[in-house]
Amino acid sequence: MKKIILFVFILLIANTSFAQRYLSKTGSISFYSDAPLEKIEAQNHQVNCALDTKSGFFVVKILMRSFIFEKALMQEHFNEDYVESDKFPNAFFKGKIVNLKDINFSKPGIYSAVIEGQMTIHGITRPVKAKGTFTISKNGILARAKFPLKIGNYGISIPDVLTGKIATEVEISTNIYLKPLK
Amino acid sequence: MKKVIKITGVLFLVAVLAAAYVWFFVYNKPHRNFEKAKPEIVESARQIYQNFKANPRAAEAGKVIEIYGLPTGIEHSDSLVVVVFAFQKGMFGNEGVRCTVLPDFRKEASKLSLSDTIYIKGFCSGYNGTDVILEDCSIIHKKKIIKS
Repeated sequence: MKKIILFVFILLIANTSFAQRYLSKTGSISFYSDAPLEKIEAQNHQVNCALDTKSGFFVVKILMRSFIFEKALMQEHFNEDYVESDKFPNAFFKGKIVNLKDINFSKPGIYSAVIEGQMTIHGITRPVKAKGTFTISKNGILARAKFPLKIGNYGISIPDVLTGKIATEVEISTNIYLKPLK
Repeated sequence: MKKVIKITGVLFLVAVLAAAYVWFFVYNKPHRNFEKAKPEIVESARQIYQNFKANPRAAEAGKVIEIYGLPTGIEHSDSLVVVVFAFQKGMFGNEGVRCTVLPDFRKEASKLSLSDTIYIKGFCSGYNGTDVILEDCSIIHKKKIIKS
């Protein structure tokens, strides 16, 4: 009898731990900026993301060279002159869902979320707070957010000649579909 | 007077041609065609994964490379098709080499057998801490494994 109880207990723990961690390796992140000289838009569809629904822990890893621009020249400048992808190949976000109690991950629906954490880009870490939604369905969770980011805060400088012609703030959008870890 | 007009005309033409060159071949130059690019490095999927595990800024980053090995999975996400060579488990699930194929190769990639060694070429974006990422990949050819 003890063995049966132990077996059921292990099964329950295993089930709970599996259901609480969600992952994505094909999340999408894009950024957009509009300025007199140039509209800049790029997308990355290779974003790693992990979410622990029990603790609210949220991690995002972004390979900078995976950002795709419409113009090849822009992509080159982005990697070589601005974010220096050779030196700083990845960007990271590590944070937590602030209003975790308001989100029922076992009940399908759309929930507003506030996430706070630390963003590391270009080797520099700064606090970030973003508002977004979690759309919970039977098969997974869609994490969406939009927030502004000042590139100057991350040591990414714009040449004097282009000051005022290129936006110093970009809008970041995320669209990450997370599936339960199997 | 005629000479001045001639010189002005030639200078104007040169300026127009220079502007057109910059517009088409510098400012709006096309993205590199990775399908036609010659690989700088050819090695096994396992080898490239081990290289990046040892050094996250391995020499393959930012280069066109060709890898070979037995794929462990073909993933579909929105319109993306990703050929996966997994070598170990970690925080983000399976870890290894992930190759996103070009649109022209999506059909072929979807039908790949997991028991065939494949050769795949693409641009190595680098290592994100869990996987080596290859993008704009094309499938070079397949070879049947000879089972003894």
